Amino acid sequence: MDDLLQEFIAETRETLEALAGGIVMWEANPSDRTRLDAIFRFVHTVKGSCGFLDLPRLLRLSHAAEDTLAAVRSGARKPDTRTVNAVLAIVDRIGEIIEAIDIGVSLDDRSEDLLIAALAEGADSAVAQASGISIQRAPTRSIRLSVALLDRMMSGMSDMVLARNELARHLRDHGAEPSVEAALERLSLTVADMRDTVTQTRMQKIDALFSVLPRMVRDTAAELNKAVALSVEGANVELDREMIEMMRDPLVHMIRNAIDHGLESSVDRIAAGKNPVGNLSVVARQLGNQIIIEIQDDGRGIDVDRLIINLAASSGQSEAALRMLPEQAQLDLIFHPGLSSKDNVTTISGRGVGMDVVRANIEQLGGRIDLRNTPGRGLCIAIHVPLTLSIIPTIIVGVSGQRFALSRPSIEEIVRVRGDAIRIDALGDTMVATIRKRRFPLLSLAKLLGLPSSDEPPATLVVVTVTGGSFALAVDEVLDTEELVIKPAPPAVMATGLFAGQTLPDTGLPMLLLDAAGLASAGGLRFNSEARAPAGDEKVSEGTPSQTMLIFRDIDGAKRLAPLATIERVEPVDRADIQFTAGQWRLSVDAMIIPLATVLDDVARYFAGDETRLSVLRIADGQTQIAYLITEAIDIVELTDAMIAGRGTGPIAGVATIDGEQVEIIDVHWVFARYADGCRSDTAAPVLLLAGESTTWMESFLRPVLENAGYRVRTALRAGEHPSVTLAMDSDTLSIADATPVIRLRHAVHMSANAGETIFRYDRAALLQALDQCRAGERAG
Amino acid sequence: MAKLFLIAIIAGTTVAIDSQQVDSVVDIGHITPIPRAEAGIVGLAALRSRVVTVIDASGALGLAPQSGSSNRAVITSVDHHHYAILVDTLLDVAPFEETQLSSGFALGDGWQRASRAIVDHNSSPILSINLRALIPGVALAA
Repeated sequence: MDDLLQEFIAETRETLEALAGGIVMWEANPSDRTRLDAIFRFVHTVKGSCGFLDLPRLLRLSHAAEDTLAAVRSGARKPDTRTVNAVLAIVDRIGEIIEAIDIGVSLDDRSEDLLIAALAEGADSAVAQASGISIQRAPTRSIRLSVALLDRMMSGMSDMVLARNELARHLRDHGAEPSVEAALERLSLTVADMRDTVTQTRMQKIDALFSVLPRMVRDTAAELNKAVALSVEGANVELDREMIEMMRDPLVHMIRNAIDHGLESSVDRIAAGKNPVGNLSVVARQLGNQIIIEIQDDGRGIDVDRLIINLAASSGQSEAALRMLPEQAQLDLIFHPGLSSKDNVTTISGRGVGMDVVRANIEQLGGRIDLRNTPGRGLCIAIHVPLTLSIIPTIIVGVSGQRFALSRPSIEEIVRVRGDAIRIDALGDTMVATIRKRRFPLLSLAKLLGLPSSDEPPATLVVVTVTGGSFALAVDEVLDTEELVIKPAPPAVMATGLFAGQTLPDTGLPMLLLDAAGLASAGGLRFNSEARAPAGDEKVSEGTPSQTMLIFRDIDGAKRLAPLATIERVEPVDRADIQFTAGQWRLSVDAMIIPLATVLDDVARYFAGDETRLSVLRIADGQTQIAYLITEAIDIVELTDAMIAGRGTGPIAGVATIDGEQVEIIDVHWVFARYADGCRSDTAAPVLLLAGESTTWMESFLRPVLENAGYRVRTALRAGEHPSVTLAMDSDTLSIADATPVIRLRHAVHMSANAGETIFRYDRAALLQALDQCRAGERAG
Repeated sequence: MAKLFLIAIIAGTTVAIDSQQVDSVVDIGHITPIPRAEAGIVGLAALRSRVVTVIDASGALGLAPQSGSSNRAVITSVDHHHYAILVDTLLDVAPFEETQLSSGFALGDGWQRASRAIVDHNSSPILSINLRALIPGVALAA
């Protein structure tokens, strides 16, 4: 949050500086529309940012100024000198507060009511004076650099990497002294480290944009008394920092709009036969040479009728003329300045204003906004922005001796053509691949690219997803996965329609990134996007219920099955990342520690052997994940036969037949119950309050014990929380009103004679027993 | 006013190139071909950390593509993209005066598009060309 605050301060300061000239001009000529719009956008942006940064004073000021300016914009109010003065006083005060926040001093807020009152129409001209406190401007801790400079830094960095590679190659060819090799090793580490840092100066995960969303959605929803479930996807895409900054406001604005105007209240949703909790999903993906951010809600959509009536009323355009417009153009009226399809004004997203601002911002980036409206069912807003520079996870495929990169998120799976699970047939003059009973159109990459290809059946198929459908792409081999810095290719290369950009991997040989959608259309594939079922309905399957299972070889040598839906991914791991810590085997991966489950009880012996090829199944249940140690993944099968349940409980749920062979199915439920961390759900756990003088000791000594016992430990209660038990020292005086049970701890080993019942603070067994009693009492009550 | 020109042989013809259009003259290493790209685009090459698009000027000049063995190229930057235009030989770098290309010369379409003026090199006239015109997919107007 501190980063965000810093950014907000820097940005507001900068806008204020840029605005300074405009303010004077507006003062000279209050009817100047462009100046008015600029000031309006400023207060509107401040208002938007304050909402999730939790700055109520700024929110109040900017909201008041926005109201007044909106009235001026709509013509309801004349911009006389008094109004101008009052607005400017607020803008000045915003500047002062920003400076105050930056250096962390408090600012007297007594005159703010006066400032706001001065905005009222016909208010006294006794404009409140500026606070008069002169605030020393803090030295900024962030600086702004020109993008050109960063670019030079980045290309210098890549030069360095290539030079290092060359040096390493020479040393390897000619042999080198150990001391030289050690120096090179150190150089390599530094270079790698530097490269990450330099890349960070320019690139940022889109996660930086998405990480504030859960909090913002929660607060916004709470303010409006709505229930909203947010899902966020694609946070791993890395984007140009510049782009991320520019996307921030539009994204925040549209999400607020979606919650405020789009999603209905629970009552209305139930009446409309929907799930009482509204769904909001934010998805980022890369498609060809574009980044697309989709904001989809399942609310009421845009009421085009009402939009037209409002617009006709506010803009003076004829309603009949508006109704003559084609459907999409009617929908686009939402971008008309100063308009709302909702009648009342709320603090959240104001008057739907801002859609014009949003569009202007996006178009400034060279992007566009698409709306897909389903009245009564929801709205999907897709923001398309061009890919300037981004880091994309890719897989590298080889075909006819040449290498190409394919964006990994667009790849559904990679299969080798062997066995019966995959068939390739001619269908008329086209080819079709059947993979586990799903049929895909088959395209040959070599043929699409006009490269020499053999007539032999393809060895490897890559199933690629594009908007509307999937297809199988035949390639010679899959070589590698790599995160690549993608830059736009020159126009003559883009004109082929097959490539999304170019990149220079560490080999020093340039490579092209294939555009999946471009390949599909070059191959003549036409997917009907209407046919795509909305998310959530996909799970409805027909025919015999079947379950997709992964066959793998377990570490005891047996073949076993696990439900594919529970497996996030299969990945190789390093033996060094697996350690026996805190009572069980754990795996460090992706900066997390996850428990390691195995079918063997005695894993230590397994590890004692020099087994080097280790793989894990990463299994997730939506909240937590575990890693299940295996030897290798074998195949994916559809299991249609019923499973025969096993006897007793344990890691095996039952057995099924695969090609006449008995194969055990692992019991994911049991595995989770046994191995997962924090199996208990966080919200359901009873709250335990640490009170009194010794909370610090309790916090550091007792917290793990208490959390293990299934409590949410708090030192201060959050809103709406009720402690089911309170823990304090015997010497503490507590002011607890309710009949909350209190367990008291004492310092002395032995109980003193006249005290009430206390527990010695290191007597774990007694403490846990007392907690159990409290819980039992609670349940009984 | 005299300007600095590179005198080079491109596609078998001697031409003069305004040095202001040239970033550098380099030898191109490995070239990654670009499938389905139009004639005239040879491929991509790495120039230190930059990726340059390698151009064979013959196509743009309306000549048969060269299977030239030269890997020398002049680097020019157009609209933020870098291009390497292959040259057969680099003859000279010297200041010259450009003189107006008078009408009456029947230049082929490609040459017509690329030509700028005439410079006098050791009393033999040489056509000075606009590199931008040799690059496919780029509008001529700057």
